[in-house]
Formats: sequence, structure tokens, C-alpha cells
Amino acid sequence: MTAAWAFDAIGTRWQIDTAHPLAPQIRDRISAEIERFDRTWSRFRPDSVVSRMAERPGTYVLEHADVLFGFYDDLVEATNGAVNPLVGQALSELGYDATYSLIQSGRPASVPEWAVLERSGDTVTTREPVSVDVGAAGKGLLVDLVASVLCDGGKHTATIDAGGDMYHCGTTPIQVALEHPADATRAIGVVTLEPEDALCGSATNRRAWGDGLHHVLDARTGRPTADVVATWVLVPQSCMIADGLATAHFFAPPEALLEVFHHEFVRVHADGTVTWSPDLPGEVFR
Amino acid sequence: MRLPKTRELFAVTAATSALLMTVACGSDSEPTTDDPTTTSAAPSTDTSDTGEASGDYADGTYEGSGSYANPGGVSEVDVTITLADGKVSDVEVEPGASGTSLQYQQKFISGIADEVVGKSLDEISVSKVSGSSLTSQGFNQALEQIKADAQA
Repeated sequence: MTAAWAFDAIGTRWQIDTAHPLAPQIRDRISAEIERFDRTWSRFRPDSVVSRMAERPGTYVLEHADVLFGFYDDLVEATNGAVNPLVGQALSELGYDATYSLIQSGRPASVPEWAVLERSGDTVTTREPVSVDVGAAGKGLLVDLVASVLCDGGKHTATIDAGGDMYHCGTTPIQVALEHPADATRAIGVVTLEPEDALCGSATNRRAWGDGLHHVLDARTGRPTADVVATWVLVPQSCMIADGLATAHFFAPPEALLEVFHHEFVRVHADGTVTWSPDLPGEVFR
Repeated sequence: MRLPKTRELFAVTAATSALLMTVACGSDSEPTTDDPTTTSAAPSTDTSDTGEASGDYADGTYEGSGSYANPGGVSEVDVTITLADGKVSDVEVEPGASGTSLQYQQKFISGIADEVVGKSLDEISVSKVSGSSLTSQGFNQALEQIKADAQA
């Protein structure tokens, strides 16, 4: 890789590494793709489609909803509803930073059932104002969309990194270090990303631990403790699925997720232990 | 060569747990009876003469339990901190044995490392790094809290 293009978008730092500097028209296409996604899905801009959904019920077209919500169907089921895109409103009411999204426990009264959305393709109908937060998998999907622009079916070499959500394409694999959750100068392991592999990491320290947090967690009475502080998930050809599973691993036992989704994982637990999947293409340093 | 490395890694493990513990300690306003959320200092064995300590804190071994929040719920740890010459000389963390993480069906997991074992990024050759760091702020807060207890 000889060229790197870094920029900030959708609230995170992006870096795109390529063999050669990207042509201006390619950059424009990527920027447009990101802007289009943001205009639909961002909870932080009042003109977005999801912001309007939070204002009033109605029928809305959410581009990519078919793919994204279809994945969420599986995610909600695999985590027993712990991951739910409709939890955003409840968290906001608790004063919780919206960047920490999609956790649910004990089903706070104001969190609607995921099934409340009536869907047909990318068209979604709501009968009440609904705050949709696709933070668990939306960024991964956007990385996939950017990858589809850059990779062009494997003809080009590129590594897209959106704040830790990665997609790699080209002809040769790359090595990626798994950063120690407590020490940025160290790695707990290394994984190999083959071309068309996606890798996403998630850690509790990434989240904004606002004052409202413990109230959210108090509402979790009766929920099993996951004890997970950091996760990485590797999925071929889908950063969206890797992104969603990296969140789901905080809430569901690995066997439940492996039954539903083909993926590799590494989990760091609060007591310092690390577990990983049988076929992880890499090494966890013991 | 082995021994120093092991000691170093243990320290890393302890720091990880203590960091997370303080997240709940610092913010929990409504502790429940069976959910200790504050660190209570209780000097036990090894306590030497307070007057001879070079720092402002009483040397000794302090035990405390704490709970910490993670996205899956609340977990508990028992922490033992040893003060020598007014400094923290040792930290031990005993995780509470609860939660689904201890109930894995082993067939789904190929490896379990007992501790977070790390290598310096300088030692390995990689293109990218994935993940983000905890700040040291939480751990420092934990130390301040225990020091305050030791001064009392």
C-alpha cells in the first residue's frame, strides 16, 4: 500500500489504503455514497429519514433497509432481543450517549418490539414515532458499500478502515493486530485478512460511558452477565455482518451466534481471559 | 526470561479488570445489598507500622470488592491491593464466577487463554491495528480511591 486517504465521516475516522492514489472521481463517488447513507440513517441530522421517522409515523423509504433490517431480524433473534435497533429512544430518554447503541435488557417500557416496523423491501411503515438506531451494523454496511466502489470484484487492492470496521480486497492478505483493550502499545493477537474479508472490533472502552449508563444496566436485572469487554469478528465478504456480530458477542454465547452466522471471533472477558473460535485465521498470544 | 514476562502479563490482566471496576464504582448511586459497589479498605495481614511508611498511606494489604458495568450486565470483582512504602506494590483481581461466559460449550471454542497476553506492537509485523484503548484514567481513579481509604 502506498497511498492513504483519511477523512472523517459519520462520526468516525476513515482511512482507505490503496496501491495508488485514488482518482478524484473515485473519491467523489465514495463521498457521495457516504453522504447518501448519512442522509438516510443518521440520527444526528434532523433532515435524515430516521430523524423524520422519530418525529411522526408514516411510510418511509430507507435505502438498504431490506438488507440491513433483514440482517437485524437474525441478530435480534440470536441475541434474544438484546440487540434491537429501536432501543435508541429509551437510551436517549435516559440521557445516554447515542453513540452507544443497540443494547437492550429487561426490555425497558419505552423500547418497542422490533416487529413493530412493517416492512416491504426498503419501504418501512410505522404507526408511532420510532427512533431507529442502526449503529450495530450500519457502519459495517457502509463499509461494504464503499468496498463495492473500490474493489470492483477483486480487480483493485484496497483496505477500508472506518474506525475499526475493516474490509480488505486485492490479491494478497494482510496481517491485522488485535489491540490490547488496556494498552494501545500491545496486541493480544494477530489475524490474517484474506482478500474480501471483513474484520470488526468492538470494545466497551469505545463506548461513551455517560452518567446514565448504570441506570441502563440496572434495568438489566435478570439478564445473564456476558462479562465481555472486547470482541473481534471476521466474516468473509460482509462488514455489515462482522459489525453486527461484534456487538452481538457482548450479549449472546458464541455457540448461539455460530449456529446462525458463519464467522470467526475473539472475545476478551472482564477477568482477562480470552476465547476464540476454532478456525480463527490467526494467533492469540498466550 | 520466562519469569519476568509472566509477571508483566499478570499486571496487565489486573489493570484491565480494575479499570472496568471503577466504571461502576464511580457512577453507581444506588448500591443494592447484595451488590457491593464501593471499594472498602480493610487492612489485614502484612500491616506494618504506619509511622514508618515513607508516604502518606498506611502500608498493608487492602481488600475491596467492586462491581463494574459492561454491556452485558454488571459483574463483580474482588480486589486486593498491597501498599508498601506508601505505594501500590501489588494488585490482585479475583473475578466473580458468574455469567454466561463461564458456561461455554467447549466444542465451540478452540482456545482459552487464562490471561490477556500481549506482545508489543513493535515485535510483530502488521498492516493495521484493530481495536481501541482504554484510557488509564479509570485505573488511576481506582488507585486514588484506595489511597484515600488507606489514608483514612
